[in-house]
Amino acid sequence: MMFNRQMDYQNESGSETRLDQLFRAYRQAMPDPEPSVNFMPAMWAKIEQREKSDNWIGQFAKALATAALVAYLITAMVSPSPASKKNAYYNVAYRNGNYVDALVADHFSTLEPLHLDRISHLEAGR
Amino acid sequence: MLVEFELIQKAQKGDAGAFNQIVSAYRRRILGTISRVIGRPEDVEDVSQEVFVRLYFSLEQLRTPEVFEPWLYRLTVNACYDYLRKSRRKPEFRMSDLSEQQVMMADAAAGSRMQDDEAERRRTRDTVNELLGAVSEDDRILLTLKEVEGLSLKELEKIYHVNENALKVRLFRARQRVLKKHDEVLKTMKEVTGPPSGSAKSNDKTGA
Repeated sequence: MMFNRQMDYQNESGSETRLDQLFRAYRQAMPDPEPSVNFMPAMWAKIEQREKSDNWIGQFAKALATAALVAYLITAMVSPSPASKKNAYYNVAYRNGNYVDALVADHFSTLEPLHLDRISHLEAGR
Repeated sequence: MLVEFELIQKAQKGDAGAFNQIVSAYRRRILGTISRVIGRPEDVEDVSQEVFVRLYFSLEQLRTPEVFEPWLYRLTVNACYDYLRKSRRKPEFRMSDLSEQQVMMADAAAGSRMQDDEAERRRTRDTVNELLGAVSEDDRILLTLKEVEGLSLKELEKIYHVNENALKVRLFRARQRVLKKHDEVLKTMKEVTGPPSGSAKSNDKTGA
């Protein structure tokens, strides 16, 4: 049992050493390559291309922001004034509500303030 | 550091000449690292240029000279990640159409022992790339930086922004995975090539 463990350990450390040697050999087998003569021009071409595309994105973002502002202003102008919001309940009831809601809304809109003097007249009449 | 911080400061202010000098100082090192990580010679320049393009656009964020090199390596690591992950590309090599075992069998059949230096280097490249190609991009890049490029744990800490213990654990696990593949390759090679010539001779002797 102990012998097996020792063998395992030896195998393991042997593999580790072989792997280290392999990595060292790999480093030597793959020296740093020489850059081509086109390296710098190609790199600057990429930088310029990236700058152009960044500018285009920036301009597009500005245009988008302006369009959003204009749309907001138009919406604000077209949207109903606060005074007309009073009737919002009725409008909603007529548009979305069922028959009962519409009736209630209709009744509510035509309901006049209670005139106490008229009630007293009625009581006097009795 | 291969360049003075004053040069970096000039480049930060938009001096193209200064930036060219920085690129000239570091490009061979970066080309080498990338070639050993991605393993596709035809794409090495392209990925390296991407590193320097990213450097150009992020240079103004650099405040202290000490972090320049780790930062450049970080850009390199990210560019390699992007390249390897883009289409889950596995490294390819000139001999990639044939596995190590097939190369050896072919050589044996041709009666060649591939003893010259170039053949030996090619075999080493293919073997290591087979091993690193069998693990994830993370493991591949980390092991290449540590074991092949020879970066210290302190340097890796700055590149990966993780503490030393976490790095040790990641490295240990990555090595275990490569070792497993290494043992598999060795086992297969032994099966393909058969017993060593010494034992064959002794069999012959007993046979005679």
